[in-house]
Amino acid sequence: MKIGIPRALLYYKNEKFWPTFFDEIGVDYIISPETDRKIIECGANLAIDETCLPTKIFLGHVDWLIDKCDYIFVPRVGYRFGYETCTKFQAQTDLVANTFRGKKPKLLFYNIDDKKAYRERKAVYKMGKFLKIKRSQIKYAYIMAKQAQMFFELFRRQKEEARLSESKKLKILLVAHAYNIADKYIGKPIIKAVKALGCEPIIAEYFDESECIRASQSVTATMPWAYNRHLVGAIELHKDEVDGIVLLTTFPCGTDSMVNDLIVRTYKSVPIITLTVDTQDGTAGMETRLESFVDILTLRQENK
Amino acid sequence: MKGYLGIDIGSISTKGVVIDGENNILAKEYLWTEGDPMGAVKRLLKVLEKQLAEDVRIVAVGTTGSARKLIGVMTNACVVKNEITAHAIGTTTVHPDVNTIFEIGGQDSKIIIIENGFVVDYAMNTLCAAGTGSFLSSQAHRLGVSVEDFGEIALASKKPTNIAARCTVFAESDLVHKAQIGHKKEDIIAGLCKAVVTNYLNNIGKGKKIRAPIVFQGGVSKNIGVKKAFEDAVGSEVIVDENGHLMGAFGVAVLAKRSGKEKPFSFETADIEFKTRGFECGKCANHCEIICVYKEDELIDSWGNKCDNGAVKASN
Amino acid sequence: MNNEIVACFPQFANYAYAFKYLFEKGFGVKYLLPPPITKRTMELGSENSPDYVCSPFKYCLGCHIEALELGTNCLAQILGPCRLNYYGELSERILRDMGYEFQYFNMAAINWHSRKSIIENFKIINPDLSIVRLLSALPTSLAIIKMLDKFENYVRHNIGFEAENGEFDRTYKEFLQKLADIESGKQLKALKKEYWQKLNSIKLNKPTKTIKVGMIGDYYTVQEPFANYFMEKELAKYGMEIYRTMTFTNSIIHRRGKESIRIAKKYTKYDIGATSNSTVAEAITFARAGCSGIIQVKSFGCTPETDAMPILQNVSRDLNIPILYFSFDSQTSETGVKTRLEAFYDMVEARSGK
Repeated sequence: MKIGIPRALLYYKNEKFWPTFFDEIGVDYIISPETDRKIIECGANLAIDETCLPTKIFLGHVDWLIDKCDYIFVPRVGYRFGYETCTKFQAQTDLVANTFRGKKPKLLFYNIDDKKAYRERKAVYKMGKFLKIKRSQIKYAYIMAKQAQMFFELFRRQKEEARLSESKKLKILLVAHAYNIADKYIGKPIIKAVKALGCEPIIAEYFDESECIRASQSVTATMPWAYNRHLVGAIELHKDEVDGIVLLTTFPCGTDSMVNDLIVRTYKSVPIITLTVDTQDGTAGMETRLESFVDILTLRQENK
Repeated sequence: MKGYLGIDIGSISTKGVVIDGENNILAKEYLWTEGDPMGAVKRLLKVLEKQLAEDVRIVAVGTTGSARKLIGVMTNACVVKNEITAHAIGTTTVHPDVNTIFEIGGQDSKIIIIENGFVVDYAMNTLCAAGTGSFLSSQAHRLGVSVEDFGEIALASKKPTNIAARCTVFAESDLVHKAQIGHKKEDIIAGLCKAVVTNYLNNIGKGKKIRAPIVFQGGVSKNIGVKKAFEDAVGSEVIVDENGHLMGAFGVAVLAKRSGKEKPFSFETADIEFKTRGFECGKCANHCEIICVYKEDELIDSWGNKCDNGAVKASN
Repeated sequence: MNNEIVACFPQFANYAYAFKYLFEKGFGVKYLLPPPITKRTMELGSENSPDYVCSPFKYCLGCHIEALELGTNCLAQILGPCRLNYYGELSERILRDMGYEFQYFNMAAINWHSRKSIIENFKIINPDLSIVRLLSALPTSLAIIKMLDKFENYVRHNIGFEAENGEFDRTYKEFLQKLADIESGKQLKALKKEYWQKLNSIKLNKPTKTIKVGMIGDYYTVQEPFANYFMEKELAKYGMEIYRTMTFTNSIIHRRGKESIRIAKKYTKYDIGATSNSTVAEAITFARAGCSGIIQVKSFGCTPETDAMPILQNVSRDLNIPILYFSFDSQTSETGVKTRLEAFYDMVEARSGK
């Protein structure tokens, strides 16, 4: 039996967690390759036009996997640290089931539908039971997977903090959801472009999630979304250490449409630019915009 | 002999067809609207009148297209119908077994799904003009070729370039980019045709049951490059007929005939002076734009008001 | 009554009458019936909102600006299971940045598990809050909502068939005017009786077999007539019988969440967020009840309703019912909407004649 894991959306929040878990319970799996033109086009063909770009990409990855495995792993994660994620994550499983109805894919369910923290463990046990794995083995695999993810995030964070304090270059905080910043089509070209302009990209997503969410509480009382709180908290904690902020968003992202406005209204002391990526091909325009943004930052620094 | 006149007034072009009782086309014309629907209809009527035999008497008029209401008032029409129904009726009259109609016009595009002669589903583009006729002609202009040659040139391409055509602005910058990095002109043009089709199928064709026989209509159907791109994309033959661009006018002529109503019409309408006056009603914050139609300075109709406050009554 | 405080929720269908009763009789403050939404409301809202936010946010913001201009000093906003949950905080922020001064009652800011939090927040509306008075006004406010939904449901089913044009509109307008002056539950009962009779006695030319259409869509767009381009009225002009389940009564007072999930079970394994499950369940119910067509209206980019669309497409195929999808943004052309509705009518008429 082989599980297919789409390299999109929540995969980027669980890069080490899921693969380690499947490794430890001894289930074979395959992860779809990095997003390419073909995957995007395929996703765009499958999705309703108005669907947000990350969801289109996700559907493209599912399509890539569909003949290559027995079960497709489509997680449904409604809550994180007591906050909501986004309704699109609640709909994900059923969206896949309905979009691919003709192909009758078998889905591996993984459902976190409660604000309470123990729900993740429950979801993992349920999934393990479905795969006919012994309880003790699930327990062990879960602990190992959690640890793997924790250390991965810890090292990543330490590296980011080190660069933040040591780099002499202009530091640009890139604010984007995990699945956007790590995507080859959305975030990676931007990171590259920032580096090419001689700046130091600092990834907001890489800072500690619970610490950031705690920090976000002083900025916004009622923001319902955990992933956005993570990013807002990262800005709140590090706004004085960076020279500029790039809000990288995808069209039409529901949560970002409001949160980015709040960010721009709240942080007036740091220059902020919003870049919106659409399904169309063309980071050319983005590079120009980034370049002029960096020019502004350089001038600001010279004037200080 | 009785004749039935159908007029389709779009934002870009105006089409007119006169049919007889057996749906044979007696006269037809296609001309540019040039931003003046009334003027275009007057020119249209002059041309149609010349094509008709002496004994043909127009007994009923039907109008469709975006200015259908205005022209309906002007020509004393029996039937004023939306373009979706008009196209469907026109097409099923000519091709009774049709299941899918693709239509790409100057500024809009639609898809109509038909089962057993009935419209069962349809969609229209609403948000932007990317991938429609005006988009293609502006890109042709940019590339320095005439839009009429577009199709032939596209067929010469072996490897169409990928063009991002979701939005006119992006498409233009992408086009410049692709030309700069040395793509051949025919490949770019074929790429544009392909992009129009992909855009169409992704946008309004999404989730629709597209089954052969498929008929492709509208101004863009004359572009054989787009036709081929459609055939490649859906994997079956796509029918384009000679009068495809007139199907809306033809359909509404058929509807006028079927309505059984007859209203006096004379080609002299072309000489009567009609005027429209639009004004913004200031009676509430809606600021409805009210349109009044005058025939030789006499108000004959008005519309556009959301509430009774803005109603302008005809004097009779 | 505390005359210095004037409160206002954003305009939303006709529910302002219930809020008015609750605020004036329960909270003891004045309540402004918000002016109906117009183009100006939309323009004010769009100018000051973020670009890509869903249009109901723009309507609500525009409405609050107009309410402030009319002398309101206490704005209120509800909560919801989607972006709506964040409307309050962001629009308060925007209005403060614009320089307005006001009290803001944000229901999303209340911790509903804590009595202290509830009372503290209610005191934003009126510092001299009396819980007893508030609780005594609540039943009548709910009764107003239920009555509005009952009446409007009847109008929806029948307005396309009135013998004399405009009769329903006239009667209903008259009713709403009287409703604004209701002082007690007793008066309400009498008014309800009177106008229920009046509405029922309006002469109808209703054939035994009518063309039925179901309306579904996002919470705001499907319920606020301006947001859906007065679609129900347009459909009625063609002589159609309109069905809509999504109302305040059916969503807040009688929560149908579990029932929706049960009906939609064949298509959705889980709760797919916000109104999506009820949208799918309503579509299925309408199809089974013999509707000839369904119309989905939503604001552009509404994530839950967009996610419901692939499911609706499957429902449409399986139950052989056409579904027309409308997605509105601030630039949607009214002519385009009318053309598509006309074609929709032609289509369902032809289908039901088969």
